[in-house]
Amino acid sequence: MGSKQTNLLQGTLDLLILKALVTGERHGLGVSRRIEQMTRGTFLVKPGSLFPALHRMEESGWLTSFWGESENNRRAKFYRLTKAGTRQLGEETEQWQKIAMAMTHALKTSQETP
Amino acid sequence: MTLWSRAKSLGRNLFRKHAVEEDLHDEVRAFVEMATAEKVAAGWTEAEARRATLAELGGLERLKRSVREERAGTALESIAQDLRFGARQVSKSPAFGVTVMTTLALSIGITTAVFSVLYAMVIRPLPYGDVSRIVALDTHSAGGGTQFASYPEYADWRRMSHSFTALAGYLPQGTVGMESSAGPVVLREVGGTDNFFTALGVNPILGRTFLPGEETSGRGDVVVLSYEVWQQDFGGKADIVGRRVQMDGSAFTVIGVMPAGFRFPINFANSIYVPLHLDKSQLENRGNHWLQTLARLKPGVTARQAEADLDTVFAALGKADAFNAGRSVHAVDLTTWVVGNTAGSLRLLLIAVAAMLVIGCVNVAGLLLARGVKREREMALRSAIGAHRMRIVRQLLTEALLFAVCGAGAGVALAFGLLRLIRVLLIASLARGAEVQVNLPVLLAALGVSVAVTVVAALMPALRLSGTAPAMALKSGGSTGTTRGQHRLRTGFVVTQVALALALLVVSGLLLQMLGQLRSAELGFNPDQILTAEVNLPRGRYAGRDVLADFYTPMIEKLEALPGVRAAGVIQMLPLQAWGWNSEHIHIYGTAPLKSPRTDPAEVRFVSPGYYRVFQDALIEGRLQDPHIDKPTTQLVGVVNEAFVKKFIPAGRDPVGMEIGDNDQTQTLANQDNPRILIVGVVKNIRQTVYQPTFPQMDFMIAQVPAAESLNAIGSMHVVVRTAVAPASLVPAMRQVFRQVDPTVPLREPETMLEVMADVLTFERLENWLFGLFAVMAVLLAVVGLYGLLTHEVELSTREIGIRLALGATRTTILKGIYRRVGWMLAIGVGLGLVLTAAAQKAISAVVALRMQKDAWLIAALALGLLSAGLLAAALPARKASAVEPMEALREE
Repeated sequence: MGSKQTNLLQGTLDLLILKALVTGERHGLGVSRRIEQMTRGTFLVKPGSLFPALHRMEESGWLTSFWGESENNRRAKFYRLTKAGTRQLGEETEQWQKIAMAMTHALKTSQETP
Repeated sequence: MTLWSRAKSLGRNLFRKHAVEEDLHDEVRAFVEMATAEKVAAGWTEAEARRATLAELGGLERLKRSVREERAGTALESIAQDLRFGARQVSKSPAFGVTVMTTLALSIGITTAVFSVLYAMVIRPLPYGDVSRIVALDTHSAGGGTQFASYPEYADWRRMSHSFTALAGYLPQGTVGMESSAGPVVLREVGGTDNFFTALGVNPILGRTFLPGEETSGRGDVVVLSYEVWQQDFGGKADIVGRRVQMDGSAFTVIGVMPAGFRFPINFANSIYVPLHLDKSQLENRGNHWLQTLARLKPGVTARQAEADLDTVFAALGKADAFNAGRSVHAVDLTTWVVGNTAGSLRLLLIAVAAMLVIGCVNVAGLLLARGVKREREMALRSAIGAHRMRIVRQLLTEALLFAVCGAGAGVALAFGLLRLIRVLLIASLARGAEVQVNLPVLLAALGVSVAVTVVAALMPALRLSGTAPAMALKSGGSTGTTRGQHRLRTGFVVTQVALALALLVVSGLLLQMLGQLRSAELGFNPDQILTAEVNLPRGRYAGRDVLADFYTPMIEKLEALPGVRAAGVIQMLPLQAWGWNSEHIHIYGTAPLKSPRTDPAEVRFVSPGYYRVFQDALIEGRLQDPHIDKPTTQLVGVVNEAFVKKFIPAGRDPVGMEIGDNDQTQTLANQDNPRILIVGVVKNIRQTVYQPTFPQMDFMIAQVPAAESLNAIGSMHVVVRTAVAPASLVPAMRQVFRQVDPTVPLREPETMLEVMADVLTFERLENWLFGLFAVMAVLLAVVGLYGLLTHEVELSTREIGIRLALGATRTTILKGIYRRVGWMLAIGVGLGLVLTAAAQKAISAVVALRMQKDAWLIAALALGLLSAGLLAAALPARKASAVEPMEALREE
């Protein structure tokens, strides 16, 4: 939870949210905490980005939402992956890995050449 | 599936907006609670935890807004909002909305309708193959008058010229009765030489056209149908080719059908085409000039080269035969020939159309700008409390489009309606009237221009706003819209409108004046109570017969016996309707020959004595022809008019008893023993056309036409009847008479002489009608524009007026101030309008002569009228201004 927050790459947030929901349904705060946990505190998702993204992804049909009880017995809105969401996760993961590999390779090359 | 879920959420977002909003609210709340609880659990105080969470959120409302923007249908929703808002704005001041929309509708509708007529008549290419290569041969006599070809001349031209792929002759022959599958119909007949269709470059859609040499008599009586005739009268059947049809009593074989749209001459609807069947005298008579000619240029040959070529031919012919000497030719491209003398007027109309569109657009722009200024503070306020600039622009745009769409819709409807009206009213008068359709590109252009103007004018305030900080606009307070630049712009609008309106008014006023003069021209006869009908004796039936004894004499006797008939007679060319049947070989025995014997033609008419009684043509001296004295066997006698005497008889000599040498028109009529023509009487002038002074004229009596020549000379005549009752009421009785004399002679629809006159003047009336419409619209729009502008200014300066009143100004001073300003605007507008009219003098002169001095009274009157209309428009806003209550005005803003 450093004060220096790494900027999320465009599209990364969606991937992270999808990934965060693989293990089961979560409410907004839960998604935020899960991402923090998954990235070992590198990414801190603020509500100002989180909620628009959740709603957009719900409009796109990747998530569904329902009202439920939180761990502290509070009424909260939960999000769950849909089939389309799972498929989207697969596609985005693959794409991300390609990019990551390419980037890693590119950075290595530039280090080797003087 | 994704699509479905999107649609579902769109539906939910739009229609269950309230529930969705509540849901969002709850969700965010729950988040805040949980995040706070988390922090409290980590050891924060409740208050600190809450504050930190809210800070993390970055503002509840902002968060909600950014979520909302992610939702489907946001754009749609805000457009609906804008539309609702716009509609509310319009309904708050309905007069404003109606004015803008009406102005738009009128500009678009009228512009499109009139331009469509112009396009159909002037701009659209003629329906012939490669029209630019076709020239009409405008041939002249040595004297300079238009003189068609005689057949032998035509044959020489065709044989000796080298510039044409085809040089054809044609004769529009008037009407013919045909037995169609649907019964007898009256059609227009056009005779052509064998290469007529080759010259026009059009192939038939069925069968064939004329074969070489088919014009010679006896080579089969064949007919080519126009598409209209084929469709209307023969049901468009494909087996028409080869069928025998009865035309004016003779059998003809249909050989072909022309494609839709083909017409020649272009104003001949429902026509059929036959090869010219010439008899011996027509084939050989060089002095009888009746054949009109046109030709298709060889590739690479220009009209000027063709003219030079023909000049050579004419010179050679003139050398060989003095009869042909001095002829000249002008090769006119066919489009100019057809569109002809109406082109100037139509071009001016085009300018008027453009002026109309400009006035309309200026009006709309002025109104919208004025309103925009009024709303500048509203915009500034909204901008200050955080509305996006794009959002404001979008709202203004929606409002403008609301106006534009409604106005444009009405405009399109108006255009179609007007054209329908024009088609009904003018089908006969416009050369191509029947084919006038709404011109789509023009409709789109008019729509585009007016919609663009509307949108730009509506957006101006928002665009201007972007230049200033909202705080500034808000601060300027009561003085919104009163900066110098804006003043000047709006004044400019009013001045432009007034100037254009005056120019249109002057042109339409002059036209009205001219029409009045033409109508009341000294005709030489009283056109009331004359009924006329065209008679074409069927050639097959009357060949070789004495048409006088067998038809005209009994018909005239029976007509004169009808109750309500004062007199009846015949003449081969109806006064005012047609002229140009003339002779150029006038020589009076005992006078010095004119310098050039052919300088002046004299019109030639065949009449029955009843004609003089019908037209009440007063005998000035001598006597009229008398069938008891003047017979085919006695010397040919003529009655001449005053213009003839003035032109050909030396002053002081008595024309009665003088003799005229025989000439090209009378050769076949003159008595073989004494070919001289004896002048027995002089009658008053009767106008042959309303556009020119009376020509010299010689009348011959049909009773002196030799029986052998009678069908050729007087087979086509106009029956004229002077009635004691309303002329139209005699039509049934007239039909009855025709049936009694010969039921096979088709009777064309009789017309009163007044109707004939109206037909002749149709173009003038059309022009007048259109310009009148424009002028009225222009004045109306200018008045509306002025009214709108002043109302707006009074509204804007209410506070200022209030202050002035509070400081002791009287209401009269306020009124004076407004009227002074209006007066200036109007005066400048009128001044500019006069300058504009003077500048457009040349363009106007194509239609009507404008002489600034002579018409000064008319122009002054129109300018005064416009001024008073403008002052009247100012009256209401001015009264409103003077009625301002100072206290209320100061409190208002």
